[in-house]
Amino acid sequence: MSTPPLLELHDVTVAYHGRPVLWHVDLAVESPCLYGIIGPNGAGKSTLVKAALGIVPLADGWVKFFGEPLDRVRGRVGYVPQRESVDWDFPVRAIDVVLMGTYHRLGWMRRVGRAERELAAACLDRVGMADFATRQIGRLSGGQQQRVFLARALAQQAEIYFLDEPLAGVDAQSQQQIFRVLSELRDEGKLVLIVHHDLRTAASWFDRVALVDMRLVAAGPTEEVLSRENLARTYSGHLEVLDELGRAVEAGRRTP
Amino acid sequence: MSGLRGVIEFLTASGGMHGWAMATAAVVSAAAAVVGSLLVVRRMSLIGDAISHAVLPGIVVGVLLGGRPGGPLATLGAVAAALLTVWLAELLRGKARLSEDAAAGVVFTTLFAAGVALLSAAASRVDVDPGCVLYGMLELVPFDTVELAWLEVPRAFLGGLLVLAGVLAVLWLSWRQQLATAFDADAAAVVGLPAKAMTTGLLCATAVVTVASFEAVGAVIVVAMLVVPAATAELLVATLPRLILVAVGLAVASACSGYAVAWQAETNAAGMIAVMLGVGYAAAVLIAPDGMLARGTASLRLAWRVVCEDVLAEAWRAEEVGAALPASPRGGLAGMLAAWWLTRRGRLLPGGRLSEQGRGQAEMVVRSHRLWETWLGRHVRLPLDHLHPPAEWIEHYLGAEMRQRLEAEMAHTPAGSVAADPHGSTIPPER
Repeated sequence: MSTPPLLELHDVTVAYHGRPVLWHVDLAVESPCLYGIIGPNGAGKSTLVKAALGIVPLADGWVKFFGEPLDRVRGRVGYVPQRESVDWDFPVRAIDVVLMGTYHRLGWMRRVGRAERELAAACLDRVGMADFATRQIGRLSGGQQQRVFLARALAQQAEIYFLDEPLAGVDAQSQQQIFRVLSELRDEGKLVLIVHHDLRTAASWFDRVALVDMRLVAAGPTEEVLSRENLARTYSGHLEVLDELGRAVEAGRRTP
Repeated sequence: MSGLRGVIEFLTASGGMHGWAMATAAVVSAAAAVVGSLLVVRRMSLIGDAISHAVLPGIVVGVLLGGRPGGPLATLGAVAAALLTVWLAELLRGKARLSEDAAAGVVFTTLFAAGVALLSAAASRVDVDPGCVLYGMLELVPFDTVELAWLEVPRAFLGGLLVLAGVLAVLWLSWRQQLATAFDADAAAVVGLPAKAMTTGLLCATAVVTVASFEAVGAVIVVAMLVVPAATAELLVATLPRLILVAVGLAVASACSGYAVAWQAETNAAGMIAVMLGVGYAAAVLIAPDGMLARGTASLRLAWRVVCEDVLAEAWRAEEVGAALPASPRGGLAGMLAAWWLTRRGRLLPGGRLSEQGRGQAEMVVRSHRLWETWLGRHVRLPLDHLHPPAEWIEHYLGAEMRQRLEAEMAHTPAGSVAADPHGSTIPPER
């Protein structure tokens, strides 16, 4: 039997309060690469990631990692949420956040030990943040906070990474640093999926992309997917049908 | 020594009545502070408030079923009521599309009112005083005791101590899970940490702490004990373990001082403890590292530096045209005060001339001013008469390194050298 895909989404549909916002996404990623999830604002890119990771429930469909449901492979899958999703005034230091990446391996009984501390320090160093280890996270710039988030994911030592807009609102230096680390991860044989909104940079950054706008428009090698025709289908906003139908489903009535 | 003897006498008088009451207040406050710390850093103070009120019907039902107000049955009822609160609030948010705060507000006020109604209806059968619900009966706590070996221990103290020990033990065991969930619940759940269980556990702990505090301080004042110590500690320290330690310290200190003051002033002890917590918070707002006092001093210091530098620069410009600093420099009273001070410190000589040291400082202010005017003139399209005001402001913020950078950069622009500013005045060299 051939090896199962690293990630497989089958007919994934997500609804908020009964209104479908993401329709029938079918997607398989076979091998390690930098994978861009691209689409306009409100297209459901973050929702797709959250659905894959079980953070929001699926209305329909299923998701498998390495051919297995997520519950059996947690720890091999890492997640870097949008930076705005957490409270950066939270009383922890940068190194404490990175250490959180090691927690799932410790279980209930083992405490954080020397090995974990050394790993966390190495991960902070890898994103160029070694000098800020004991800084309270609220006193870091946006780009530095994002790099701390990335370091936490590195400390997790996962095989598949999801990153939600890791390059949004980030200074140029941090952007370079983050992108370099993500490329290294790919070269180490990891699958890195990145939610990204900027089409101009997408073409040069990602090996493969999925164009999403309430449904999967196209997926595959970057140069094939980012065709003029596909982009027009994604960004021209011809989705009144899905939008209107979604509202009707939510309200439990028939469309006019 | 007489002060210490007075304290000991106060604590041990009438069979240790004050001592026990104080100790009870201290343990329940400490337990509330620990749980409250997690609520506050997770921005869940409101849900803590809601739970501490909404447990009332649960307690009353527990007592109606034969339990004591602080006993296991009442605790069970309270936990059930707390979970019901959270579930109902979630339901209202999801199904009725209410905002989170409105949903919590609707649910807990309704449940609390139901509890009060139930309490009044069953007044003859329930050994709970409605007044106690509001602000507790700390003064009466020492009279309801249980025999423990040779010691008569107030029931409420024992209950509080058990809850404190339980809360600390559970927190110790689940520390990493709690911390990761509190900071980023989604990411914690993705890697398989029990984020949902941690949140539910925190809500249950809030209910348990409320029940333990119920007899001593009442369901209303316990809100202050949950929220205020942690909110105060948050202003003072930067990591969660320290925050919890400081919160517990503040809670115990407020419990003891509040009780003592209340006894002296013959007023309600629980209320005075909450007042003490509030006073502590106000003090922290003032003295915190980033507090009002620190910020006030910093801005005063800055204002004074600006006035002094302005006087020095004025003296330098006067010298440039062969005059001395006028007897009343610009800046009014502050300017005159600065001139007097600068003379005392040897920056100005009597007669309004600059000393060598003063000249050095003044020159760097003027240099900053004229460099900035030049830079603005080249990089920002501003008319000539608009250059002075911004430079008057920025001159106080330009450091030596930045000045060198500006100069070096402008030397390479087509306009060439920077010996003079746009008004034609000479730019003094760096010293």
